[in-house]
Amino acid sequence: MMHEFEDCTQVLQHLYEFHDHELTEEEADEIRAHLLACEPCLDHYQVEDAMRLLIRKCCSEEKAPDTLRLRVQATYTRTVVITETD
Amino acid sequence: MIDTLDPAARLAVPGTRREHPLGSFVMNLPTMPEATDLDRPETDQERAERFEGEALAYLDQLYGAALRMTRNPSDAEDLVQETYAKAYASFHQFTPGTNLKAWLYRILTNTFINTYRKKQRQPQTSGQEVEDWQLARAEAHTSTGLRSAEMEALDRMPHSAVTDAMNALSPDFRLAVYLADVEGFSYKEIAEIMGTPIGTVMSRLNRGRNQLRASLADFAREHGLIGGDRDDA
Repeated sequence: MMHEFEDCTQVLQHLYEFHDHELTEEEADEIRAHLLACEPCLDHYQVEDAMRLLIRKCCSEEKAPDTLRLRVQATYTRTVVITETD
Repeated sequence: MIDTLDPAARLAVPGTRREHPLGSFVMNLPTMPEATDLDRPETDQERAERFEGEALAYLDQLYGAALRMTRNPSDAEDLVQETYAKAYASFHQFTPGTNLKAWLYRILTNTFINTYRKKQRQPQTSGQEVEDWQLARAEAHTSTGLRSAEMEALDRMPHSAVTDAMNALSPDFRLAVYLADVEGFSYKEIAEIMGTPIGTVMSRLNRGRNQLRASLADFAREHGLIGGDRDDA
């Protein structure tokens, strides 16, 4: 696993994994060192960062309708019927 | 991930959880206040309350995921309801303290694959068409061609453009990208949720993300969100 990221192509190929925190510490350090020294790769990194924010923001706004909440609750809640006496 | 012991058996043997070598049985019972009554199995009422307190918190998230999977609000609602019904039915097999969110997503995914995807023929074919031309593009240049200086274009991107681009991905790519980019699951968790090897997850993620980012960059260009002269589109 040593010096896997010698050039920009290799760094860019692993940029998603770097972003996803799926690389080892050593690998991530190599990428970080490369990004600090390489403007075009840093640019890719920043664009990817912005893309992630955008995608997350746009896809996490959905609210479940209240009717669905009630339907779901009905699957595990027993209905208790109270009958008035007297 | 799914513990097959029934709750009575698990509660009767405190300290069996590997994560807690000291075996404090209080740690085994994070949600059961009556820790003195260890041998008594959970009542239906207690289980329903525990389910309500822990699992219902993910309703909005699961609905959002179901909406991306089915691309249709009414199917999404049915899918989520079925997921919760199945989850409640096997909630006694779920090990407290393990990843409830991933467990629920796995049930959601299985239910979607087994029930809805069979019904929905058309997403597969329409997804495939998009996949082919976008794949060619994605391989021609692995990046979006966007520069960081142009990133403010992304702020002006309508949210519907993002969800449309997401919906245009083929179902497997869409789900992998959703689980990673929106829910922040690790590759290992996604592999467990989707029931595929990690290598498959990585390849779906790579291709799906390349396609998604390429279409978003295209959208920004085509709608004049990027460019020197700003005629605010």
